[in-house]
Amino acid sequence: MAKSALPISNCIRELRETNDQMTQQALADRIGVTRQTVNAIEAGKYSPSLEVAFRIASVFELPLEQVFEYRP
Amino acid sequence: MDTGFEEKSAWIQLVTLTVVVGGYFLVASQMHAAGVQDIRAYVPVFTVSVIALIIVMIFGHIAAVAITRNDDRDERDKVIAWRSEYLSSWIVGVGVLAGITAMVLGIDTVLVAHGLLLSLLVSELLSSSLKIVFYRRGF
Repeated sequence: MAKSALPISNCIRELRETNDQMTQQALADRIGVTRQTVNAIEAGKYSPSLEVAFRIASVFELPLEQVFEYRP
Repeated sequence: MDTGFEEKSAWIQLVTLTVVVGGYFLVASQMHAAGVQDIRAYVPVFTVSVIALIIVMIFGHIAAVAITRNDDRDERDKVIAWRSEYLSSWIVGVGVLAGITAMVLGIDTVLVAHGLLLSLLVSELLSSSLKIVFYRRGF
């Protein structure tokens, strides 16, 4: 899981790399946000809405908790 | 700098407002110091400033669209806009209340009008600055 300034961290970058080096833009297009937002989520600068979080997990065909981790 | 359209727009607003409206306040303060007490005397300078502001904003945003691949607004842009406006809009409220109080106290109309305008400017500058901070540092 990538380090995050927010209590929610994620492993999206690793998942992209293991999925045919998927680009941030490709992921952004599939989940309906801008590339900058994908970058901000990966960098732990933005916690996505539940809907976008589910869309990301859906792209990688993983349950939500394997993509995002909550550390209060 | 890796920025989307909304962040570029915040930069354009911040710089344009600072230069154009700041320039207006500089001229207006010199006029006031020179003893111009009639509010109507400020209207031509103000009109020129507003026209300049609109023109620079339009061209700035056209340029921003041209150099930004995706100018769609997503949920992060909306949350950042909402947060920055929520945190800065109170300044206009304070400015209006201060303006009404100043009118009741019979303070110079020129000062009251410019106080109101200043509260609007400061509110917009804070809003644009907060947007940039939220885009750069996260929230």
